[in-house]
Amino acid sequence: MNDLEALLPHVKKDAKLDSKNHLNLLPELADLNNCNNALYFEARRHEDLYLWAAKTPNGPSIKMHVQNVHTMDELKMTGNCLKGSRGILSFDKAFDESEWGRLTKEVFTHIFGVPPQARKAKPFVDHVLTFSLLDNKIWFRNFQIVEKDPLQPNGPPQTSLVEIGPRFVLTPIRIFEGAFGGATVYSNPEFVSPAAVRSALNKERGNRYKSRKF
Amino acid sequence: EDAVAQQKVEIDNAIAMERIRETIRLDPSLPWTETLVVSYPETVDVDVDDDLNRELAFYKQALHCAKEAKTLAAKHNFPFTRPADYFAEMVKSDAHMERIRQRLLDESATIKRSD
Repeated sequence: MNDLEALLPHVKKDAKLDSKNHLNLLPELADLNNCNNALYFEARRHEDLYLWAAKTPNGPSIKMHVQNVHTMDELKMTGNCLKGSRGILSFDKAFDESEWGRLTKEVFTHIFGVPPQARKAKPFVDHVLTFSLLDNKIWFRNFQIVEKDPLQPNGPPQTSLVEIGPRFVLTPIRIFEGAFGGATVYSNPEFVSPAAVRSALNKERGNRYKSRKF
Repeated sequence: EDAVAQQKVEIDNAIAMERIRETIRLDPSLPWTETLVVSYPETVDVDVDDDLNRELAFYKQALHCAKEAKTLAAKHNFPFTRPADYFAEMVKSDAHMERIRQRLLDESATIKRSD
């Protein structure tokens, strides 16, 4: 997840939070660091990763389940961009079609949009952060904008894209009114927790064994 | 055995969400250069399991937005393209890019050999 830090020049990283039960400490931490947005990665059972995207201190916050993570370290993505350049945020139209989508878009705009006066920001734009809603999940991609055609370096500039990474899929679970807490204003009816999926799988395996045995 | 089907309580409080959105909304009078947000006028509507088409749809979305952002940038007098003589630290290090390049070369060599 250091990738996100590299991409967003205005973030401040803080060390791990050792307790999972005291999420209410987080707004305080954010406040200590003069931040008004927070991204908190919560790892559970060594295999599930959740991401909290919150506006501190007053909320709202969105809890999401992170899947299919590919980091920038992988060699398949050949793009590269300036460290600290401001990315364009691109949202597809599906975000505007539901209320939670609009809210998510607003929060993401705050979090992933780099303010122009950010200290480490570079003055040029060379990548696009794409958020797409598909299958009720938010798909995140990051592309480099290439203006030159590699086959004809002197030809007319042709915009094309090369993926930089990271990529991941976020499944929204709940949206809370406050920062890391408060009343639930949205819950995803389709979300099944990964632990439930695993236990169902195990149970099925058990049933198979049972039916074979008896 | 009659198990009670667990019904998840679905909450979709649109009014509250709208209110929250109103409270955190950025001032709409801000110039575009503050946020650099571009909306794609279409929804991505492809089969989720079809990797190739799905990625293509994302690519199209990003490309459309990149082009739109470029025109918007020109309108706002906002520097967009990096001049060729502007060097700065990149997100991926040179060593990493070299490894990527090496891999691409290796791959094309393998293809050639098998031809």
